[in-house]
Amino acid sequence: MTTFRLLAATAAGALLATGAYAVDCPIKIGGIAPLSAPGTVVGGEAMREAMLIAEEDINAAGGVLGCDIKVVIGDSEGLPEKATAIMEKLIAQDGVAAVGGGYHSSVGVASKDVADARGVPVVFAETWNDTITGDKQKYIFRIAPLSSWASATIWQFALTVPDVKKVAILTENTDYGIPASQETARGLETGGVESVTFSVDIGTQDYAGIVQRIKAENPDMIITLVTGEAAYNFTQQAADAGIGPLDMPFVTGQDALESGAYWQNVPDGQYAFVQRIGVPETQFSDKGRAFAAKYKERMGKSDVESYAMEAYDSIAVIAQAIGEAGSTDGDAIVAALEGIVHEGTLGRIYFPYGTQKDPSEDGKGDEWWHQWPDPALTMIQYQDEGQDSTSAAIVYPDAYKTTEPVFVHQ
Amino acid sequence: MKRQIPNIAGAAFLLLLAVFPLTYGGADYDYVMHILITGFFYAILAASWSMLSGYAGQFSFGHMGFMAIGAYSAGLFRHYIYLSPEPTGLCAETQFFGQWLVVVNPIGVTSTTLTQDCLRQAMDAWAGSVEVTAMPVLLGVVLGTLMGALAGFLVGMLVLRLRAAYLALFTLGFSEILKATISAEIDITRGQAGLELPALYPSGITLFGRFYEPTDKLPPYYTMLGLLLICLIILGWLAHSRFGLFVRALREDQDAAAALGVNTTKYKVLVFSVTCSMAAAAGAVQGHYVQIITPNMLFLLQMSLVVAMAVIGGIENFVAAAIGAIILQVLLEMLRNSFVIGGVEVDMTIWRLVFFGILLMITLRFFRNGLIAPMIAYFRRQGVAEETVAKRASTVTGPEGGPHRTEAPD
Amino acid sequence: MEFPVLFWGVLGWMIFWGVSGSILIRRRYLARDLDTSNATFIGTMAGAALGPVGIAAVWAGTPRASGYLSTALALLAVLIIAVTFSFADPDNICVTSGGFVASQVVNGLIIGIIYGFMALGLSLIFSILGVVSFAHGEFYMIGGMLVYWITEVLMPGVNPLIGVLGACAVAFVIGAVFERLMLTPMYHGKIDRPVEYGILVTFGLAFTLQYFVQAVAGASPVKVQRYVEFPRFRFPAEADLVWIKTSRGSMTLFEQVTISSPRLSAAVTCILVLLALLYFMHRTWTGKALRAVSQDREAAAIAGISPDRMNMLAFALGGMIAALAGALLVQAFSWLPQVGAIPAMRSFVIVVLGGLGSLPGAFVGGIMVGLVEAAGTGCIPDAQKAASYIPAYGMIVLTLTLLLRPTGMFGRRFASGSHGQL
Repeated sequence: MTTFRLLAATAAGALLATGAYAVDCPIKIGGIAPLSAPGTVVGGEAMREAMLIAEEDINAAGGVLGCDIKVVIGDSEGLPEKATAIMEKLIAQDGVAAVGGGYHSSVGVASKDVADARGVPVVFAETWNDTITGDKQKYIFRIAPLSSWASATIWQFALTVPDVKKVAILTENTDYGIPASQETARGLETGGVESVTFSVDIGTQDYAGIVQRIKAENPDMIITLVTGEAAYNFTQQAADAGIGPLDMPFVTGQDALESGAYWQNVPDGQYAFVQRIGVPETQFSDKGRAFAAKYKERMGKSDVESYAMEAYDSIAVIAQAIGEAGSTDGDAIVAALEGIVHEGTLGRIYFPYGTQKDPSEDGKGDEWWHQWPDPALTMIQYQDEGQDSTSAAIVYPDAYKTTEPVFVHQ
Repeated sequence: MKRQIPNIAGAAFLLLLAVFPLTYGGADYDYVMHILITGFFYAILAASWSMLSGYAGQFSFGHMGFMAIGAYSAGLFRHYIYLSPEPTGLCAETQFFGQWLVVVNPIGVTSTTLTQDCLRQAMDAWAGSVEVTAMPVLLGVVLGTLMGALAGFLVGMLVLRLRAAYLALFTLGFSEILKATISAEIDITRGQAGLELPALYPSGITLFGRFYEPTDKLPPYYTMLGLLLICLIILGWLAHSRFGLFVRALREDQDAAAALGVNTTKYKVLVFSVTCSMAAAAGAVQGHYVQIITPNMLFLLQMSLVVAMAVIGGIENFVAAAIGAIILQVLLEMLRNSFVIGGVEVDMTIWRLVFFGILLMITLRFFRNGLIAPMIAYFRRQGVAEETVAKRASTVTGPEGGPHRTEAPD
Repeated sequence: MEFPVLFWGVLGWMIFWGVSGSILIRRRYLARDLDTSNATFIGTMAGAALGPVGIAAVWAGTPRASGYLSTALALLAVLIIAVTFSFADPDNICVTSGGFVASQVVNGLIIGIIYGFMALGLSLIFSILGVVSFAHGEFYMIGGMLVYWITEVLMPGVNPLIGVLGACAVAFVIGAVFERLMLTPMYHGKIDRPVEYGILVTFGLAFTLQYFVQAVAGASPVKVQRYVEFPRFRFPAEADLVWIKTSRGSMTLFEQVTISSPRLSAAVTCILVLLALLYFMHRTWTGKALRAVSQDREAAAIAGISPDRMNMLAFALGGMIAALAGALLVQAFSWLPQVGAIPAMRSFVIVVLGGLGSLPGAFVGGIMVGLVEAAGTGCIPDAQKAASYIPAYGMIVLTLTLLLRPTGMFGRRFASGSHGQL
């Protein structure tokens, strides 16, 4: 039996070697993004555009294996049950060689098993939950930061804020929010800071009762771990109730990064802190700068969001891996990804741990499996009304700091 | 002879569905199969709903709630109960035929960096030396069906005195409370993050001398089709027995039926139990097929889809409702492709639902018996003695002021 | 861990005697050939509030099931729950902080007024047509969408009042056209089961409207700037306790209660429109005709009122009211095609609580639901779950009302002919 398998493998290998370019053109790559509510549509549209720009750039540079690539976009709606269906559709109906993108963690957690069972590699762009890589599945990769690690940036920053005794955490009850809130609470506790957590559905609109409860808790700082519209709605209603960014240190959702919309909805939103992934635009690589220029022109935006860059890189890294593997076979792509060195918009992307080297060999946890270890995590602050996120000050960590943070309660 | 046309057509349709997976060989095989499986799922819901609402006149908006009860019973059962040859020493457990029945502690949404459940901890400690078995899927499905029947029984008891709009609102309330509870009890149900279930045949299955992987579509296809047939046979048998007569009497005039000695309480509760257990069985099987369940399947719009399918098929004929559901499901999928009309691109992924809604209203307004039921009735009527036809015609036109009977007798 | 034992114990006791009371007292009233429509409610409340003593007293006395008695018993039951709660969880902010309770009550009142106003439209439709409109949430949604479309897309920078008026006008027309096209056949006995037909066909409208808006406007959330920006203001200017303080987006009363500008302006507008509506219903011929039709169709027809025309007016007016509520709240929330579901559910709760077809009932019911939700969100000790259960609070009220007293607080037994019969 084993001999037979070996023979078959060799035969298949030989076939692939002789017909390395015998792949169907165009090579299809899936791209998952939330394009309707309750998913974060703003994020989804940015990711879709970024992935389509990646397709253009790669094809303009001659494509892969003599073929053009085609990015097939799937709408996850931010719902786990839609995620499995859309992953299934991309693989079974569209016949994609690999999948990039992915925004909501619950989408990633739910859809990764489908892809892994079918042997189709996935490079997740913006799904933070540790379990996604922590399950050590052969076909699952990630270039987004780990949730435990991203939470650490937030709570470590919160511990640097003076006179904070109690923090209120508002979290979404998803695979992103709940672990992140628990890790944040645990981290704050190590610094002797008390915290109280409130969780909400991502579709919630009316926060009046919750805002009053948070106010009654009398916190010194508020941390919101919610994505999309929930972040806008909550921040605005909190500001109206007198516990907004103008009143106390306030970490709001990452989607505030999209300028314009934030200021329209939260007019009193200056001094809010936002977590941002990736280095500031002044420190971009050449590729990052080129992408940023194209993206801003295409979207009519004044800055580029980190998830757009991650989405771009997720497609680009897959394309390079297919080129290096010389085929669209899942196992070959995984082998190529494990050894890849990709110069992306976010920096040099590589996956140090995987089937060749287990994370435990370096004393790291399972979540470092197929995980890019280098995304930069910063905290920014809007210090003036109507500011762009690119011109906003970086206030943490010290390595990237441009300005001292403004703490309003002082 | 002509009377037999619906039967012959039905048999041919069934035969076509039965051999389809064995003969179809298109590249989109998995996708087509997925649509059909979902179609059968909706067909079970539409058929049982039309029995409950069309036939028995118990206008329920809680059908998706019973479906969710089936799915979550099966899911939670599988998620929390295991058999182990060794005691874990951490979980709640009891001796069970020489094995240990382990009940896992609920920890909700988590991440690999956080504390794991007691079974995971125990298995880490055993380091692979002990093999833990999960509960059989079939047992979960049976349990789900029974829970659906029980819930149907209880709700049936509660709504004995409610009619028409009041009943619709009560069942809607029931479904919404269920949805909120599932969303809120994150520790147990994982809330919006979704509860993951194993595949219908977790270790694959051999059918017709061929081995099928858990991801293959053919075994769930026959399972769902079989379930649909069983449901239709039970419904057909019920409709043609005394039960069917009494249940119709409930709809026409409950008080008169009670006065004539029909035990209305018994039949009302019975029709609720039977139809709700069917919905629950469909939910449990579908949950295992899709492998993830979330409270979003309780959205009113999901319910509206079932209602629309039943109405367009023919609300008072459960066979027509089932056929309507399958055809509409296929049609909705086929209409996904966008087209360009006069330079304007029509995005059919959404517009198809607009047309669907308009079709629903038009059917209600002008074809009160649905679109499929009259076709069946047309052929059935041929060959009925002319006298009967004449009698029927006179009831249809009816005397002024009297109740107008327009629906086709079957 | 004392909290669960004491609280759930008392609650279990109340439920047990409530259920027993509902069954026993109904039997008793039936056996004595008395009106049983209120018996279930009284029995439940007597059992819940006073236990076996209450049941025994009602059993022995079989008093006339008056509104006063049932209200008194119900209030007593609520009071007992509240007192038990405060003993069981003495550290809860609902017990310790008066300011918090005040702000929750004000919040509940304000949102209750807005949703009560919206439910009024639903009740109006039911009282005239005998139809529960399942498209009510979608009228609410298009109200907000139209304001956005008019003030941000069509005529950017225009006064929001124009947007609100435009939204109302469009919703009125949609309601009138839909009624003419789809609902007319149910008035003349042409349809076997008119109530179900009405539910299904409005359901179809809801489906169509929601996806139509999504197809045209996209699934992306839209936002509208708040209509009113308060000037900065303090009164009294130099005092220890500031009575009223305003900032751009909100107003603070007695340094405790904060009301945001969108909510305040929405609630005030709702009250003004409600007063106008009352004037219309009681002082104009058309309004009187509407009320006449809701009371007795045939008699109204004999008096020369065309019930058909009143049907159209009622449906259009009901839809317009929902659209107005949406147009006022679009400044507070971000708006999506799916946004109507939650307020629609809330409207159902409110109209059932107030009594299907009762206009004052809808308004009082709205305020009650607002308060119940505020209490639920504010007082549930588990902060993780309090918000997730928001939709359930109202629904529990709905199912309980239907089980105990399906006619609601102010419901007439037969609101409109034989529709909505019990």
